[in-house]
Amino acid sequence: MDITIIALATVATIGRILLLMLLSVLSGWALAYLAVKSRSFENAYVPLVNVMESIPVIAFLPVVLLIFIQGIGGALGVEVAVDFLVFDAVSWNIWIGAYQAFKTVPEHLLEVSENYSLSFGRRMLKLYIPHSIPRVISNLFSSFADAFFYITVSEVFTVGVNTYQTFGIGTLIALFTRQGDIINVYYSLACIAVGVIAVTMLLTTMSRHSVAKYSVDSTLEIIHRSPASRRFRAIDVFRSRTRYISRYARRITHPTRRGRFEGEAGAPTPIRHLLTVAAKSLTFCMGIVVLVYLVYSSLMIAFAVPGDTWRTFLTSTPYLLYSMGADYLRVLVVTAAAFGVAISIGYVLATHHRASLMLAPVVQAVSAFPAPAYFPLVFIATYPFFTATLPAAYSTEIYVFTLGFLSCFYYIFFDFWIGVQAIPTQFWEVMHNYELGWRSRMRRIILPGTFPYLVTGLSSTINSAWAGIEIGEFWPNIDGTHSLEVRDGMMKYIGVNMASGHVENAAWVSLIFAIVVAIYGIVFTRNLMDLARKKYVVEEGVYAA
Amino acid sequence: MSAVTTSENFHKEKTQSELECQDLGYSYVKSRMIYEHISLKTYENELVAIVGPTGCGKSTLIRNLGYLTPPTTGKVFLDGKEVSKPSSKISLIHQSIATFPWMTALENVKLSLISKKIEPEEANRIASEMLELVGLKGFGDYYPKEMSGGMRQKIAIARALAASPEILLMDEPFVHLDELTATGMRKEVYDLVFNPETSLKSAVLVSHNLQEVVQLADRVYVMNGTPATIVEEVKIDIPRPRSQREPVFFNYVDRLYDHLSSSLKQ
Repeated sequence: MDITIIALATVATIGRILLLMLLSVLSGWALAYLAVKSRSFENAYVPLVNVMESIPVIAFLPVVLLIFIQGIGGALGVEVAVDFLVFDAVSWNIWIGAYQAFKTVPEHLLEVSENYSLSFGRRMLKLYIPHSIPRVISNLFSSFADAFFYITVSEVFTVGVNTYQTFGIGTLIALFTRQGDIINVYYSLACIAVGVIAVTMLLTTMSRHSVAKYSVDSTLEIIHRSPASRRFRAIDVFRSRTRYISRYARRITHPTRRGRFEGEAGAPTPIRHLLTVAAKSLTFCMGIVVLVYLVYSSLMIAFAVPGDTWRTFLTSTPYLLYSMGADYLRVLVVTAAAFGVAISIGYVLATHHRASLMLAPVVQAVSAFPAPAYFPLVFIATYPFFTATLPAAYSTEIYVFTLGFLSCFYYIFFDFWIGVQAIPTQFWEVMHNYELGWRSRMRRIILPGTFPYLVTGLSSTINSAWAGIEIGEFWPNIDGTHSLEVRDGMMKYIGVNMASGHVENAAWVSLIFAIVVAIYGIVFTRNLMDLARKKYVVEEGVYAA
Repeated sequence: MSAVTTSENFHKEKTQSELECQDLGYSYVKSRMIYEHISLKTYENELVAIVGPTGCGKSTLIRNLGYLTPPTTGKVFLDGKEVSKPSSKISLIHQSIATFPWMTALENVKLSLISKKIEPEEANRIASEMLELVGLKGFGDYYPKEMSGGMRQKIAIARALAASPEILLMDEPFVHLDELTATGMRKEVYDLVFNPETSLKSAVLVSHNLQEVVQLADRVYVMNGTPATIVEEVKIDIPRPRSQREPVFFNYVDRLYDHLSSSLKQ
């Protein structure tokens, strides 16, 4: 195939991903605001996002088939379906990142906005959004990587006997793989590498701009406008937002300006109060409607299931819980490895600008390369060695670990990386001044200082590890002759039952899993973010009264 | 004989600098120096102040002295030995008060003792003593968020003192405090700097506030120009305690003001 087509497909895919990332950011800001303003919305939102993030992309295929392929139909239906699947890959961590950034807006800045009764729009544009920029951008790295990780199952997917696809590099790679056209697979991977490096460099520059501009006294120098930097018009727009914050702050401390400002913003008017009450009531009513619908749907499904099936579900539950435990152990190992890599390599990259310029694109390229596309090649290359040196079960676990790691390590890595860069200059100076060693720095300052970022990263890492593990636990005919299959695992159970047509068994374990993940969302993510808000807002450590 | 010895000691005391920098210069970009040819000295039991207009590089200079920001040109010496990396012997107190929100006041102070590898009980004792010294006895378990700006700055001072520094660098440490608190803090800091219970030998203060400088300093270096240089060295020869109501006090303030404004006019 012409290399131009491959290049165009890469551009189409990257364009699709970037547009959907933008949509995720915009929707993430709106939802995050609702979450920090309404405790009841937050209680539903956080576990829901955790559940959605934990569900692998391919689990959405039935939904996609029903709503988009059959509902809309034609090429548009397929395109929207693909966009939905890519959106699923990119959105959740951005949403969590935006929520966690909104949740940790420094108290004194919140007070400024409350003091002067800033409207919703002003509050968003001048406070919440600028404050969230570093964390949102750190999540763009992960989202971009995640979108590419699943590109071969997002742009082309099969439901039953029908295959649906849209133009993009994921579709081409799937096509080349089916045809055994390895040369074109390599060309496609090379094109992806070029695209990934280009976007990574763009994101790296954006992250440095954002951390320099939007973090409180970070060590990074603000890069002033030059002809080249004017290209980043969006960044300039965001820069102007923070100028408003400082302008408001200055007005508060400047008595002669205060009167004029009060005249502009004024006290809450009856109309504004009425709008606030109406918005709260609307949110509450919507929540009730959704809750009633969910309860009704659940009851309808429960009554429709025959009694024998319920008995099968209940008798299989102990084994399913055991399998889930085995998978959580795998997730734990993968997360621990990802954490170790993040705080070692991430720290080096964050503190050595030149190293970050060279290594960040490498990390991004590794994370963004679609592992399902190249992993069979890795399997073919390593399988003889592993079978000769290790028992089969061990080598399978290594492959599962590798896939799990590749599917999620970048979340915590990029979050931590940006978090370290956002530590204020004064803190670094204290560390230097008192000659703190690496361990002391990590334990006492850097890990606590990046705590909100780590919670975001860990949350997404844990949630996303499932996807890689799901692929690794049950992969029939990975190289044409061998299958990758663990002995026990919940994801394997889902895969086997889906493949054999026992969708109800897969649905039952998915339900149990969803409940566990929702509890985890409340216990882990929300509580840790509450703790971060209470104690670990690094920006509040630098006091300039 | 003894008189000769005393004289020699006095001479030695005044010629042996504690902290000294020679020909310091700094630039963010190679083509433009912020300041250059800066040479200054501090002596034992002396508080030296640096004044200058906004943007002349005072805060950067004080970081150069502690090697928290390495200078572009020139050298820094402590007790005659060249300084090449940050050390707790030269402690910096920031303009923007830097305390760690996840640590209590006591833990914040103990931070400066970690590299000294002392026993936890001993670290607790020293940190508690330093908190007591700055007037925060009983506040060890409080988090910075629960304290006022002045109290937070006291934590930062206690942390700096706990490191047993020889030199204390202060970058406008009172600028965020109200005048009443700042006046009290100035006196406390001066008493601390020359308190025999502390290891301090000398202190360097950067400030915009000329009254504050005349109140505290023994000598003042005036920075000005582009790139900035030391344009004047003024010895403040007023007996302590100093009163701001005395004419001689105003004379010094006027003199410093003249140096600053005449350089600006040039």
